Amino acid sequence: MKRFLLIFVVFGLLAFGALSEGKFLRIAFDAADLKTLDPHLAAATMDRAVVDMIFNGLVRYKPGDISAPFEPDLAACWEVSADGLTWTFHLRTGVYFHPFPGYPDGYELTAEDVVYSLQKAADPGRSAYAGEYAGMTFVAVGKYTVQVKLQKPLPPSLFLPKFADYAGGFIVSKKALEVLGDEGFRTHPVGTGPFMFKEYSPLEKVVLVANPKYFRGSPKLDGVIVYYMPNLAAREAALETGSVDIIEGPPEQPWVEKMRKKPGVIVDTFGPGECAVLHLNMSKPPFNDIRVRKAVAYALDRDELRLTVGLDIAAPLCSPVPPLLPGGLTCEELGKLRYDVDREKALELLAEAGYPNGFSIEVVISERAEYLIPMQNIQAQLAEVGIDVKLKVVDHSSMHTLIRQDVNPIVLYVAWRPNADVFLTRFYHSDSIVVTGKKPDTNFSHLGGVDADGDGKIDSIDDLIEAARVELDPEKQISLWKEACRRILELVAAYPLYIKQFVYARSPKVDYGYELKSSLALYPPINELTDIKG
Amino acid sequence: MRLFRRKRRRWKGRGAVEISPRRRILRTFLRNRTAVIGTVIAVCVITVAILAPVIAPYDPIRQNIRSRFSPPQRSYPFGTDFFGRDVLSRVIYGARISLLVGVSSVLLGMVVGTAMGMVAAYFRGKAETLVMRTVDVMMSFPDEVLGIMIMVALGSGLFKLILAIAFLMAPRFARLAYGPTLALRERDYVDAARAAGCGNARILVRHILPNIFGEILVMSTLWTATAIRLEANLSFLGLGVAPPTPTWGNMIRTGLDHLVDAWWVSVFPGAAILITVLAFNMLGDGLRDIADPKLRT
Repeated sequence: MKRFLLIFVVFGLLAFGALSEGKFLRIAFDAADLKTLDPHLAAATMDRAVVDMIFNGLVRYKPGDISAPFEPDLAACWEVSADGLTWTFHLRTGVYFHPFPGYPDGYELTAEDVVYSLQKAADPGRSAYAGEYAGMTFVAVGKYTVQVKLQKPLPPSLFLPKFADYAGGFIVSKKALEVLGDEGFRTHPVGTGPFMFKEYSPLEKVVLVANPKYFRGSPKLDGVIVYYMPNLAAREAALETGSVDIIEGPPEQPWVEKMRKKPGVIVDTFGPGECAVLHLNMSKPPFNDIRVRKAVAYALDRDELRLTVGLDIAAPLCSPVPPLLPGGLTCEELGKLRYDVDREKALELLAEAGYPNGFSIEVVISERAEYLIPMQNIQAQLAEVGIDVKLKVVDHSSMHTLIRQDVNPIVLYVAWRPNADVFLTRFYHSDSIVVTGKKPDTNFSHLGGVDADGDGKIDSIDDLIEAARVELDPEKQISLWKEACRRILELVAAYPLYIKQFVYARSPKVDYGYELKSSLALYPPINELTDIKG
Repeated sequence: MRLFRRKRRRWKGRGAVEISPRRRILRTFLRNRTAVIGTVIAVCVITVAILAPVIAPYDPIRQNIRSRFSPPQRSYPFGTDFFGRDVLSRVIYGARISLLVGVSSVLLGMVVGTAMGMVAAYFRGKAETLVMRTVDVMMSFPDEVLGIMIMVALGSGLFKLILAIAFLMAPRFARLAYGPTLALRERDYVDAARAAGCGNARILVRHILPNIFGEILVMSTLWTATAIRLEANLSFLGLGVAPPTPTWGNMIRTGLDHLVDAWWVSVFPGAAILITVLAFNMLGDGLRDIADPKLRT
């Protein structure tokens, strides 16, 4: 009863808000709260969405289609020197930062801001993406010209994504950071994007208002309200009653089918999807033994897992780099390295490794459906071979913090990375090993830091990743990446599970303003072209 | 109705031969229809919990994705949930957690709380101020709020859940034990015991506790119902036992997202909570009637 009362109160407030605030697009995310709005630190899905509306990169992915060529964003054009070591970006003029204390009209973006922003993105203490910019120097060679100098040439396929509207590529305001400080900036971001930060109510919402000075033209909307509504029933009811316009759906087949039947609701599923991969921590028993890791791989049934998540939503994934990216492999190409389910073999391997009766592990997992649902199925599947997985359910940001402290023997990680190099570097390069790596990131398996196959030597694919990174011949580069993928699977450092599409439902009144096929911001991007009709 | 029955009982009592107190209690209890029904249901629930592995038609945590959200039917009388697990088996196993948490948290709370209350009343002075004011502070919070605070501090898990609920129950028992102990400590037989050389601990345990125990036992039955409800509430909020262990609270929670399409996932555990809490309340009310001195004539 209390709950229903609460829902009524929430709707009442939402309805009141809608009446009083003009043409605001209201979007409800499956999250309890935001973590940070500093784009260089925003790793959680719901944070990436908000920063996407506030900031720009030097170049951008085409809205709604990430496989299209890069488009100009803050940079009007760019070129690379003949030796491939110097990239020059020519900035647009007349681009203004959003207002902030001391600068009521904002100020014009210059090369100084871009250099400052890139240096911040490259600083491990102030950015989660510092590894991307290692060895690069950034120089302002004029008011509107920025040069990036490299130690080794990089192919455009690897260079440009680092300067796009994604993660470390978002350009922040130098003066705002000086005024607000890093801490202040996390809850009061200042960028150049179509929407400006207005207010944040913890555990409730973030309000963004249209940036009338946006360089692509004033947005059609008056603003965007992002609601944090972790309760699906509340989100669903909010959409149906018209209290919100777009809701994040659960990655669940029954829900997609149910919502598709409802009048006045459009369900969007879009890519690139996030790759769900199970990383096995090779630094500690029992997963330091390759036989145990193989047993886990043989115990798991991808088809059952896909069925749990939903066949419309989860496509098979057998390679650490998804097959739609250059360097990825399809399940057919991988043959034996798919580790098709064989529980007899799993039991044999466990017995051989000294665990005839299985073993027990404790795993921290997020409360979010996209983690908790597959993990519960993995738990049930592993129980079939005697592996008892005890789950400790925590909130989403706590899980992100804890897994980076290396607490888990197995880590389920659901993420997208822009290219094979980023996938391989961040998950499998020795520098990225959690806690102990040179630039600790998301190498949960400790590949590159431990003897993975028991031959007394440390196993690493660093050489393959690094060689591919500087390989200017695209074919050779792709074959190096594929070799790296095969090596990861041979050592069973990780077991790829499936690739999951995003699910959102919206009111038919919402017009995104572009065709939605894929989005790296992990939500249907809201920009200056987005509108609400009627 | 009750007044009328009471009068009849008195009239009958006067004419009847003297009967033993034990039989009198039993007779009073059996005459109280509510208490008897409550007892029968409670015994059934306890039996189901104990015999869960024998009664449950399926393994409660075994997933069968292909029969996801099957509505109630012959092979699955209560239907199946998101993972294709049998809801009936989960409700049956859920009784174990509910009763385990309900009973053990009340027992723990009873031991600690009664001791606190008796010590406070018997020794008076600083001990009294310290204990009873702490109890006042703890009781000023609503159960759910304090429960959430404790669970957030401790983290989730079965043992922690029991501890948290015991923590909520202890002040109730302290207050319950405090009043009668205060009266009993002034009684002549307590003075006599002291004069005979009994220590404080012996007086408390041998001479005071037996005299207040009846009342404590009665209330603990009633509060078991409260504890079961609290367990469900905290599990519903995700602060209870981790998946896949079924508890009635977390079953309702997971079913809530599909309430319209798969009502059976939430409704059956909800009914189980309703019936169990009702049974313990009926039983507790019946016991209270027996313990009521006004009925002892």
